[in-house]
Amino acid sequence: MQPTSQNEMFDSLRLELRRGCLILAVLAQLRVEHYGYTLRKALADQGLEIEESTLYPLLRRLETQGLLTSEWREEEKRNKRFYRLSVRGAAVLELLMAEWNGINDSLHRILEEKAVKKER
Amino acid sequence: MDLLERYLQSVGEYLPARSKADTLAELRENLLAEMESLEEELGRALTQSEVAEVLEKHGRPVLVAARYLPQQHLIGPAWFPIYWFTLKKSFPLVVLAYAVTQVAAWLFQSGSHVDVGAVLGHFPAVALIFWAVFTLGFACFEYAEGRYFHRVNFSRAWNPNDLPRVEPAQRKRPSLVSRVADAVMAAVGMVWLLALPYMLLGLRHMREMPFQLAPEWRIFYWRMVALLGMQLALKIVRVALHGSEGWRNGIDIAVQVIGLVILAVMVQAHTYLVPGSGAGAMSVQDLGILNTALNMAFKVSLAIAVIKMQVDLWKRFFSSRTGNNWFAPVL
Repeated sequence: MQPTSQNEMFDSLRLELRRGCLILAVLAQLRVEHYGYTLRKALADQGLEIEESTLYPLLRRLETQGLLTSEWREEEKRNKRFYRLSVRGAAVLELLMAEWNGINDSLHRILEEKAVKKER
Repeated sequence: MDLLERYLQSVGEYLPARSKADTLAELRENLLAEMESLEEELGRALTQSEVAEVLEKHGRPVLVAARYLPQQHLIGPAWFPIYWFTLKKSFPLVVLAYAVTQVAAWLFQSGSHVDVGAVLGHFPAVALIFWAVFTLGFACFEYAEGRYFHRVNFSRAWNPNDLPRVEPAQRKRPSLVSRVADAVMAAVGMVWLLALPYMLLGLRHMREMPFQLAPEWRIFYWRMVALLGMQLALKIVRVALHGSEGWRNGIDIAVQVIGLVILAVMVQAHTYLVPGSGAGAMSVQDLGILNTALNMAFKVSLAIAVIKMQVDLWKRFFSSRTGNNWFAPVL
């Protein structure tokens, strides 16, 4: 396989892998109120970089789905739009976290099993 | 910050009017916050090129705006497999319908000749219109689904018991394409047979030819037309038939039997050609040999077709005993 096509394939698979995780991370992070830029910084500080052009529209979409609430408020003499997890969003987050933990445990078991077989 | 305003203006061009102001205000705040954070890190104001770099990293205006819009597609991933399958299955029917309408138009417009080039040249436009209307229909359905009526749940509304029986690879029944091709060829053959008298009358030197068609043609010609018409009708039915295997097999047998009867009619005729009235007419003796040869050719064809039919019937009997109800058409 050509290195370029391998990189492209990896990028595509990586994007697919991250897509669902980002929503979970955003919902979890918004248990505390944030506006777009500070949310992005908070996620980046914890090792999860998200492009602005991905994050800001995602916030709008999650709000449209009723998972977030938002309000315009003045902070440091400028109007900013603050997002927070809604009641419905909190319930969905619980379900998603349970799902995530299940997937995570399964993957750990599968990956450890493979590693043990390889060592043998 | 002129560059930021220009950027926002460009993004706004692609946003819907109702959410434009709100989206741009939020985007402005986020970009300004990012730039201010960068200025704090550097301890100075950003230069024009550094602002441009931030905006470039944020993305091309049209793509940024597109991400704020609801996800758009003509036919979404849920419906696309159904759309593609239906399109593939219905296209041969379009070819058949086009062929039948062209034949009908030719039959009812007596006296006109068939311009094959024009008929074939017109087909791509017909196919394109069919594709456009078909796609639009699916797109409208998908748009209305969930808005005006409940979503169709395809994953649940099926019964595995309805799946067709396994057919051995070497005994698969003809595909839709081959069934349509068979029907189209039968239609073309029918047209040719119907056109034959006009074609012969149109030949200026027909009377000067060494032979002419025998008077028996007046009898067996119409029998052949009737039989081929029945065969064509059955082949058209076979194209659209999705019913039980029994019906398919019945039609296949009927098509075969009609084929045998057509050959039998030709065998019965004995005399196909008679001497012409012109100076270079063939002798009765020579034409006698020719007629015998033609009759023998029809007899051999009939014998081969009968043997083939017997083999197929035996296969059918054998396969039904082993659990595979199958039959292959001969004609």
